[in-house]
Amino acid sequence: MFLSFFTDLFLEDIMLRALIAGIILGMLAPVIGSIVVIRRLSFIADTLGHFSLVGISISLFLSTMGISIFFEQPLYLGLLFSVVGGLLVELFRRSYKNYKEISMVIVISLGAALSAMFFSLSKKTGSLYNYLFGSIITITNFYVVLILITAVLVFALFLIFGKQILSVSFEESNAKLLGVNVNMFQILFMIVLSIVVSMLLESVGVLLISSMMIIPVATAMKVGWSYRSTTIIAIIFSELSVFFGLWMSYSFNIPSGAAIVSFNVFLLLIVSFIRKMRQKQQPKTKEIETN
Amino acid sequence: MQIDVHNLNYSYGSKNILSNLSLSLSDGDYLVVQGKNGVGKSTFIKCLLGFNAVKSGSIFYDHQDINNFKGWTKFGYVSQKFEDFNYEFPITVKEFLSISSLRKTSEKTRLRVLDQLGILELINQNINNLSGGELQRTFIARSMLNDPQVLILDEPTASIDKLSVEYFYQAVNHLNERGVTIVLVTHNDSIDHLNYSHVLTLNSDMTYVFHKRERTEATL
Repeated sequence: MFLSFFTDLFLEDIMLRALIAGIILGMLAPVIGSIVVIRRLSFIADTLGHFSLVGISISLFLSTMGISIFFEQPLYLGLLFSVVGGLLVELFRRSYKNYKEISMVIVISLGAALSAMFFSLSKKTGSLYNYLFGSIITITNFYVVLILITAVLVFALFLIFGKQILSVSFEESNAKLLGVNVNMFQILFMIVLSIVVSMLLESVGVLLISSMMIIPVATAMKVGWSYRSTTIIAIIFSELSVFFGLWMSYSFNIPSGAAIVSFNVFLLLIVSFIRKMRQKQQPKTKEIETN
Repeated sequence: MQIDVHNLNYSYGSKNILSNLSLSLSDGDYLVVQGKNGVGKSTFIKCLLGFNAVKSGSIFYDHQDINNFKGWTKFGYVSQKFEDFNYEFPITVKEFLSISSLRKTSEKTRLRVLDQLGILELINQNINNLSGGELQRTFIARSMLNDPQVLILDEPTASIDKLSVEYFYQAVNHLNERGVTIVLVTHNDSIDHLNYSHVLTLNSDMTYVFHKRERTEATL
């Protein structure tokens, strides 16, 4: 089963495309995810995903009305709405400084309500399943190029502004004393995050985006000892999940996004279990040493 | 740096904290801000740092209004608590100091500051694993790293041991001698051991006393 998976991986265009997209997203998601976790905005990806869905549903609604917008590619309007959702979160966040999560609940609710309305009006509720759960197997070459460009841009931003991004994320108030324009960085980060969320929407779907971003980071936090090591470990876990998720999807004919995320959670459980066992063993070892 | 505060007022909702506070400091001055808990010492510091927006009264740095001030990199700050800092995500002391300085601070400078504060051996430690005192010293190291012209310290030695307190005040005196303006908040009654030039005493009825002390060669 494993051998035929490998053969098809390199012989079938669909599988190769899925693998390339998966590898890029597997690297991109935890890099952005680590910043999201540090800023305690773990629900943000879900929020932006739901708001992105508004754009997609409006796009589908307009196409049923015979109005072609953005070359009939729902992803573009989805991306635009994801950015709008991100800016709305940032706006509400400033009114509820100590209750950041309220801003996300407002935007996620509005996103869910509006997208339900427009999906219903478009009479294309059948396509809703694809957007909720996504499929990395059915993506196009165009989409692979798009995520590659996004990844290059994000990594370039991290290379140039890494220190600023981290200083704002770890401690907003002190970043100002380093000469960082905190407001500008918050908005820039929200825009970048919105773009990444839109890219993930097609492959893993709205409901699983945050799992792809957050779970590898949550797993890596249990074993990492520095920011760098935690991010690298998160990328390794994420790539393992992509690879084994694709294999599970191929072998058992299950949705790829669901398989990738399930493997992510499986790794989290394994790492948590091993860590717990080691913690239990440590005092015993010390006792033996003292004896 | 010349610091001028004119008729500063600050309130949290309907509760007034600071009322018509005015003072001036010049390069190399050393101000001790004292008073009991809740009299507005930290509020005053947050106004100086622009964390609390000044709505009534004014603050000028080198004659620039705080609302248009761009020279925040000239400030170093150690807060009383580090509630704003996100501890749970792993980050080493070395990484922390690296993201705390946008200039290319040499490795040598970092090591020297850590050594002065007696925490050199912590450089590769995860910040999550540090004790309260070690954490405080790491934050103090950060404030000294960027060669600040103004160093604002809000009860910086609250949770560190006596020896480290000595190291710390030596380092502060050294910076002050080089012309760095110091603003130090303390709720300790005894400030005799400090080499200050000015004292601001805040009272619970919103009155204040600001006076200058002549520093002798011996105290310098």
